[in-house]
Amino acid sequence: MSPAINRRQLLLGIIGAGGAVTGALATSAVAEEHPAHPVAPPDAVSMLYDNTICTGCKACMVACNEANGLPSDTTLSGGLWDMPTDLNSKTKNIIKLYEEPNGKGFAFVKKQCMHCLDPACVTGCPFGSLKKDKWGAVTWNSSLCIGCRYCEVACPFDVPKFEWDKWNPKIVKCEFCFDQRLEHNQQPACTGVCPTGAVIFGKRTDLLAKAKDRIATSPGKYFENRVYGEHEAGGTQVLYLSGVAFDKIGLPKLGSTSLGHYATKVTSVIYKWLSGPILAAGILGAVIKRNWNRHEAESAAREKQTGLKDQL
Amino acid sequence: MNRWKKLIEELQSVANHHNTTAGTHEEDGATLVNHWQRGVPVYGEPVVTPTLLLFAALAAVGFTLSLVRFFSPLGRFSGMNDAYAWGIWKTFNVMTLTALGSAPLAVGMAAWVFNRQKLHMVMRAALVSGFLFYATGLVALGFDVGRAWNFYSIALPWRWNAESAMLEISFCMPVYCFFFLAFENLPLVLERFYYTGTDQTKAFLRLCAPPLRRIYPFMLIGAYVFPLMHQSSLGGLMLLAGNKVHPLWQTPLLPLLYLLAAALCGLGFVTFLLLMACLRYSRPLDLGVLRELGNLLSYVCFFFFAVRFVDLLWRRQLGTAFALDKMSLLFLLETALILAPAVALRSRAVRETPRKLLNMAVLACLGGLLFRFIPTTIAFFPARHARYFPSAPEWLMTVGYISLGIAAFGLAVKYFAVLPGEIKDWNYMFRLVRRRRQAAIPEGEKLWPASLSTQ
Repeated sequence: MSPAINRRQLLLGIIGAGGAVTGALATSAVAEEHPAHPVAPPDAVSMLYDNTICTGCKACMVACNEANGLPSDTTLSGGLWDMPTDLNSKTKNIIKLYEEPNGKGFAFVKKQCMHCLDPACVTGCPFGSLKKDKWGAVTWNSSLCIGCRYCEVACPFDVPKFEWDKWNPKIVKCEFCFDQRLEHNQQPACTGVCPTGAVIFGKRTDLLAKAKDRIATSPGKYFENRVYGEHEAGGTQVLYLSGVAFDKIGLPKLGSTSLGHYATKVTSVIYKWLSGPILAAGILGAVIKRNWNRHEAESAAREKQTGLKDQL
Repeated sequence: MNRWKKLIEELQSVANHHNTTAGTHEEDGATLVNHWQRGVPVYGEPVVTPTLLLFAALAAVGFTLSLVRFFSPLGRFSGMNDAYAWGIWKTFNVMTLTALGSAPLAVGMAAWVFNRQKLHMVMRAALVSGFLFYATGLVALGFDVGRAWNFYSIALPWRWNAESAMLEISFCMPVYCFFFLAFENLPLVLERFYYTGTDQTKAFLRLCAPPLRRIYPFMLIGAYVFPLMHQSSLGGLMLLAGNKVHPLWQTPLLPLLYLLAAALCGLGFVTFLLLMACLRYSRPLDLGVLRELGNLLSYVCFFFFAVRFVDLLWRRQLGTAFALDKMSLLFLLETALILAPAVALRSRAVRETPRKLLNMAVLACLGGLLFRFIPTTIAFFPARHARYFPSAPEWLMTVGYISLGIAAFGLAVKYFAVLPGEIKDWNYMFRLVRRRRQAAIPEGEKLWPASLSTQ
């Protein structure tokens, strides 16, 4: 042991160095991976659904099933035709009807993956089975998924579904028709088939501008005169215009901060380059070493006294 | 037959001798008070007892069902659904019960880091129970995931999503359990081999001991850094669930609170475990050690409460806390369970009365467990209306894993020097062994208490 530095100095040195590293990392984390309010990349694709135009023909559901090779959910129809009640492991896209309690007025809603700008499912997925793919589509890779279902717990829109009745279960969710169509320069099946233009496909920036245009042309027509999805959960790539309250048609009230930001803002600093664990290990190591030596001396004395081997 | 009878009589006489000469015990009420000096196996008792068989049977049922589960889809087997995608295997066996299994972390850090020398004596009970909680929890996790065959990705770091709390847990927990915790448990296993082994084994183990001892303090570092990471990450899991978790439990401090709850449950559980085991196996108690555990438990409970209170104040949720609706009552119950032992254990009289200490430890454990379980299930409100109640197989498997832990602990205290006792006990044990050798029972050259069973 070199007497040049004593234990206290060493310990202080470790703490100081650790603090400096943590500080440096904290400042370098300015360009963070999960900003509270993510900005959509310019090539982000989008869907705009306007329920004042939708006639509820469900052509999009048929097209979706066809494009994705999904079986019909015939639970309710006695085995006759596709009749899902909500998104499920056989349904990636659904048109639902909302009726006012007094019977006056109704509204449709189209549900599918929102393709968040900073998706909670992607942040939580342990092996990157779910990922933010090209053009911002959130896709699922069967060969990386362990079936932990964290995506279902994390998703604020209740989108990913698990094949509970399969031995080799998959996560089923809208993937923006990524493999089937986007990659072949085609728009998704649902937007392609929509006869009224209730759901349209385009760049997110274009569709957001278009939606705001519609609000500006007919103020008061749309709920809160705003686009759902512009800021919800940090912003989504599927945008909604609705004639009735968003929560009535099953679009949850959410803050504008991305869940990924909320969940990782502290840990991303602590775990950056493993600085937190390494710092903890350094401090613990110094203290344990000191206490270990003391314990060893005591146990040697005890062994001498009792004649019995000391137990760890 | 006669020889057996003779042996049993002899054992009885030695045991009686032991009891009558145990005169140094200090009477404190109805409880024998003494010093714990070293781990001593439970000896002179049958290994196979009806209780052990009961737990083994429950474990067998659980594992048979696990096997069925492996070949069955999850939906048919469990009450889980798309809204409540996590059932009790994950939320109870892993996220909740490993808090009780954090005794090696809590007691170990108190002993090795905060230099509470007395607590070294209870480390073995903490280590064995902690290992069993973790191991059974991990087994539960293995049957919970739907695509377990893809788990090999854990060995391919380039596939890791480093920011996922789930990844952190799936890496840290097995490594901690089967490497660090297993290593910490190694001395007590090798000790048995040493005392029961041949001269060759002994020589070999004597050779192994110094290097093991040399790396031990370094392994301790990992044994604390790893659980500090994953116990907090377990709380971090629920952060992503956002406002699906009721605002009384959804807080950015969840990781810290889960960690504190682990410390609280760890200390509480090891107190409970020692008191129960000493009661069951008629071991004298060491109130000096128990008092220390009670003292620390009280501080940790207070600290947990303080963090919880400041957090609610800061997030302006105190009104919600006292709204006296279902969730608020649940919160108040949980807080009362933690605050009661915190306050009561400040009293020396409570800390020194084993019965009261036991009660307080149980309350603290229940409070900590409730805190860890509630946000995952009871205060978890998915986007659409749904219900989750564990199915019969889920219950049976959960009970099975816990039973396996209990049965294994029951065996461990008899085969290994887990429970603390006196040097006198240790010496009696070897005297018994010598007697037994002289009785020259043909089979059973083993020199360890389990072979002394009267069955």
